[in-house]
This record gives sequence, C-alpha cells and structure tokens, in this order.
Amino acid sequence: MLLMTASQIRGLPVVTVEGGEDVAEVRDVIYSPEEGRLVGVTLNKRGFLAGRSRDVLPANAIHAIGQDAVMVLNDSKLVAHEDAPEDVGHPATERNVLENDVLTEGGASLGKVADLVLLVGSSGEVVGYQIDKPGGGQGYIPLPAQLSVSGDALVVPNITEEFVQDDLVGLGAAVDEFRTRLGLT
Amino acid sequence: MSESFQSSAGRKVVSRSSAKELGSVSHLLVDARQRRVATVIIGRGKKAQLVDWAQLSGFGPDAVMVADESALRSPSDDRERAAAAGKLELLGKRALSERGNELGELADVTFDADTGVLEDLLIGARRVPARSVLGSGSYAVVVDESQEDSI
Repeated sequence: MLLMTASQIRGLPVVTVEGGEDVAEVRDVIYSPEEGRLVGVTLNKRGFLAGRSRDVLPANAIHAIGQDAVMVLNDSKLVAHEDAPEDVGHPATERNVLENDVLTEGGASLGKVADLVLLVGSSGEVVGYQIDKPGGGQGYIPLPAQLSVSGDALVVPNITEEFVQDDLVGLGAAVDEFRTRLGLT
Repeated sequence: MSESFQSSAGRKVVSRSSAKELGSVSHLLVDARQRRVATVIIGRGKKAQLVDWAQLSGFGPDAVMVADESALRSPSDDRERAAAAGKLELLGKRALSERGNELGELADVTFDADTGVLEDLLIGARRVPARSVLGSGSYAVVVDESQEDSI
C-alpha cells in the first residue's frame, strides 16, 4: 500500500501516457471530506508559461497517481474549470478540513488536521489524515473515521486514538486493521 | 541484424547515386504506437534534416544509405521540429511507468536494422521489451505498468 500526503502530490507533473508529455502540474488537491475521497486536482502550467491553469483534472480522468507523476491517458482529460463537474470546477472552500480539530466521540482532542493521506496507484482514495498532535509532533490517523465534519472540527470514533501512528508506513499497516475493527471491510 | 541507438549515433549517411557523404546520424525518431524507427535525424537544430525510414536503401553497420540527396527533407510538423531540436531524443530520457513512478534513464534502444522495428529498451541496467512502450514524448517514455515489477 503506497501512501502519499497531499503536499507530496502538489507540484507533481501531469504526464500523458500516450504522448509522454508533461502537460501541467498539480497545484492543489480538491477533497470531499464527506466522501473521504479526492474529487480532482487544480493545475499549474508547466515551463515558460508557469502560473495557474484554467484547466482542472477530475479524479475519474486520472489514470494513476505515482511517486513521480500524475498520469493521464492524453491531454483531452484536462477540462476547463467552467466545463468541469460542480464539485471539481467550483469546490466549496468551507469544506477544507485543514486546521480542523480532531475530536473523539468521548471528547478527547487527537490534534489538528495538517494534511491528507492518499492511497496512490488508483485515482486517490483518502485513507487518513496527518495531524499535529496536541503535545507537539506529528501523527497519522486512519479513515474513514469521521462521524461528522463541521469546518471547525471533525468527530471520530473513540478507537481512532489506538490507531494514531508515527509515520506513513505505520499508517499503511493500520488502515486495514482499523477498518476491520469498525466493520467496514 | 540488431542495431542500437547508441552505436548508430554519428554514423555517416551516404548517397547511393553519388557516393557522397550527406551528413551523419544525430539520433532516431520513433513512432511509439508502431514501436519502430520512423525517421533518421541528420544534424541538429536549424540545419537538421530528416529521412523517413521507408526512404533508406540500407541501415548498414558502417553507413546509412539513401538513394540520393532528394531523400533528405526539412521537418514538416511540430513533432518533427521538436525532434530536430533534440527534444525527443530517447537516450537519457526518463522512463516513467504508467503508474507514475520513475524507472530510471533510458540508456539504449535496440532495433532490427532491416525493418526498423524496436526490440528492447535498456532502462538503467535492465532490459525491457519494446512492446511495453505506451508513449514517448519530450518529458518521458511511458512504459506498461507490468514492467515496473521486473525493474
């Protein structure tokens, strides 16, 4: 299971499988906290024309996300943001979970959301969050765990506390067990 | 007979009718879809000239033979202009898997000197069959994901 944080995906080139060309680069990921998935990415232009691109890449148009590139079949997969599905073209900014407090149902704070953790290889399922722990330092918690999300905080099951990991490798191992315990698999 | 991109670089191009040397091979442009050598690029930059594979009378070990000077032409589209500028040269190009992981640099490519059909890619020190090539451009050569596991 190869996991990457959203910040590792930012800046990756978008490369066509059929053409071998770098047609854009990832500006940011668009995330749906309710669905726990990547809905698409916004883009920057490459090369001399560097700067924000008007095009976006919906998640279902992504061929694969790897460590070194986001792959698309060809450049027709990039769509102008006004032509993109609503959740990709005009993502709601209040759904941003970064800086949100992660609270257990029992009322303990596990920390604040620092980054998203995605399962790569496919089109980007979000399987966890990187958190800044209350006592300092960073940790990782598995998803799907949140019961509700408000824009200020998200509430997760009490057992999430047992699954706080120190690194991405640990999180990779924890995701399956966590989901089994929640009866999700 | 098997030939390689690396060993054919610099080979002289000779006119069969005049026996004159018309230039030397800079590099080879491939058709990634058909997995074969499409065009021989002679010289570089603004002075670069192209010969289509079908126009060759022989891709020999010591010289590349063409009927006469009229076989040489200028780049005719954006892809050929990019090739003339050296942007599509395969040697040294990064190889990316279809899954978006870098596999290494392309060190050499072998092909059949009679047909121009590509045989193997040498990525780093490992040999990958040319049938795994999915696309080739200025940024990367993209290869089938099943090849990633063998590297």
